[in-house]
Amino acid sequence: MATRMKLKLKTVFVLYFMVSLMGLVYALMQLGQRCDCAEHDMPKDRTISRLRGELHRFQEQIRKSEATKQPQKQPAKPTIFVITPTYARLVQKAELTRLSHTFLHVPQLHWIVVEDSPHKTPLVSDLLLKSGLTYTHLHMPTAKDRKLQEGDPSWLKPRGVEQRNEGLRWLREDRRAQPGGDNQQGVVYFADDDNTYSLQIFEEMRSTQRVSVWPVGLVGGMKYERPVIEGGKVVRFHTGWRPSRPFPMDMAGFALSLKLVLANPESCFDGDAPMGFLESSFLQGLVTMDELEPKADNCSKVLVWHTRTEKPKMKREEALQAQGLGSDRAVEV
Amino acid sequence: MPKRRDIVAIVLIVLPWTLLITVWHQSAITPLLATQKDDRRDGRSNSRNTFALKESCSLQNRDIVEVVRTEYVYSRPPPWSDVLPTIHVITPTYSRPVQKAELTRLTNTLLHVPNLHWLLVEDSQRRTTLVGRLLHETGLNYTHLNVETPRNYKVRGDTRDPRIPRGTIQRNLALRWLRETFGVNSSQSGIVYFADDDNTYSLELFEEMRSTKKVSVWPVAFVGGLRYESPKVNTLGKVYGWKTVFDPHRPFAIDMAGFAVNLRLILAKPQAYFKLRGVKGGYQESSLLRELVTLSDLEPKAANCTKVLVWHTRTEKPVLINEGKKGFTDSNVEI
Repeated sequence: MATRMKLKLKTVFVLYFMVSLMGLVYALMQLGQRCDCAEHDMPKDRTISRLRGELHRFQEQIRKSEATKQPQKQPAKPTIFVITPTYARLVQKAELTRLSHTFLHVPQLHWIVVEDSPHKTPLVSDLLLKSGLTYTHLHMPTAKDRKLQEGDPSWLKPRGVEQRNEGLRWLREDRRAQPGGDNQQGVVYFADDDNTYSLQIFEEMRSTQRVSVWPVGLVGGMKYERPVIEGGKVVRFHTGWRPSRPFPMDMAGFALSLKLVLANPESCFDGDAPMGFLESSFLQGLVTMDELEPKADNCSKVLVWHTRTEKPKMKREEALQAQGLGSDRAVEV
Repeated sequence: MPKRRDIVAIVLIVLPWTLLITVWHQSAITPLLATQKDDRRDGRSNSRNTFALKESCSLQNRDIVEVVRTEYVYSRPPPWSDVLPTIHVITPTYSRPVQKAELTRLTNTLLHVPNLHWLLVEDSQRRTTLVGRLLHETGLNYTHLNVETPRNYKVRGDTRDPRIPRGTIQRNLALRWLRETFGVNSSQSGIVYFADDDNTYSLELFEEMRSTKKVSVWPVAFVGGLRYESPKVNTLGKVYGWKTVFDPHRPFAIDMAGFAVNLRLILAKPQAYFKLRGVKGGYQESSLLRELVTLSDLEPKAANCTKVLVWHTRTEKPVLINEGKKGFTDSNVEI
């Protein structure tokens, strides 16, 4: 009985061994041939090589078109230095993202982002790094007594003063360190992170000799505010709120030439100026109304809008956080 | 007991299987390695396992897109590719003071996306010159449509009446246009995305949605009274629920900006539209999606729904108090 069983077991083993061996041989044969089984990865690779081919073609095209442009060497466009103060709040990343999309279209633009923070935040650092723009990342915290508190109306205290001044300081220091005529060429513009800018405004401001001005939409309680032009010169300002200010316009409504900024190293924004006089506090020492250069088709077109983004409602989030079930803080919003 | 024989027997059983497993594992990589040999000419060498390879593949895709983007600093869309599927972006819009500003910054974003077709549908009786001129000047590939929401459907004042979802008729018109243009059961490749004109979109989002096979989903910031709402994804990479507070038992508890549909699916199901009447607040998206797909078919994007790539921002209504009754500013100036 025992030997018979042993025999049976032996045959079972032998059979099993033969089957495995055959399977192994089959697999080895499969190895040598092109496998159709990994077809879910093949189309991806094919797509990648086709895309790469297209990329090379486009790069060749660009190189060819740039080669033909070379004979007419144009003088370098003056760089536009855009100073943007920003502060941490829910919509910050969204605002900076769509702003960077606008700036990516503007050639020769240098973005100076100044955070209202005691140190550089990783959110802004990463965003700037991935944006593809030429940028400078600065930070300058606002003094506690100058800062808006929760529930304060937005007009109570001037915002972004220290940050804009820090931007100006960096610009002056940076240019001083690089002497040379070309480096003095440029335009300085103060762009808040929640406004909307058309691409045309940047081309309009590039030719600024001293200070240029244009209309701004959706500001001052009106559809737009603008300088009034007569004989190619600014004679007064069309605004619904305190038109007697020396320069009754919004931060987004003017740009200065870099030369002017460097020639007046002491001029900066005065945080103690009364409400609405922030722009005037800066421009007063730099230029007279007579010297202002009107842009945007003699100040008849609106190319920049003073949009404001709603604060997102967080009632449910706050309720959840009270229960300790708030959304994952590790996910950056 | 012949111990040696037992050991020999066990070895004979185990050995072929271990060899088989290692061979299969190798054979899964080798075809890919074979194709990599062609790419080695381009200076990219990959000798990693399948998972790392997949990651580097998608990274290559992203690298390619990024290079094209940063080289292109002109206000014209990137050159049309024969390889990438077209993204059809449907945006309903209506006339109000911030309209031009909203559309301007949206176009500044869309101009970076290759192979994009913008369907802008106005809620108006006629196509307005403001929008027409704006579209023409951008250089985008666009289709300008219009359909007016009947008065009894329109939102009264500012209050959001949940019985009257905004933009529904306009989105349905765009879907109908797509079906009429491409024909039912066409094999045209493309993705359909509903983008409102006041939201904020990252460029990464458009590349994530390009690989949609049926319906893909991802998190959206600032909706449902939360920092973000997102689909719940299990370890197998399948959507099984919704991480929301507001009515998480909706069939598709997701915002309009949180999903994209493959064009073939839209064309294959010509009766699927957003429901107009009797839709409870927050159920608009479900009214379309339940006709197209089931929960298990959803494809999670944005790193398995862990990254926020789209923000449901809302623009404040500007204070126009100084305009007065007659209007202080020149109405001929377009804002």
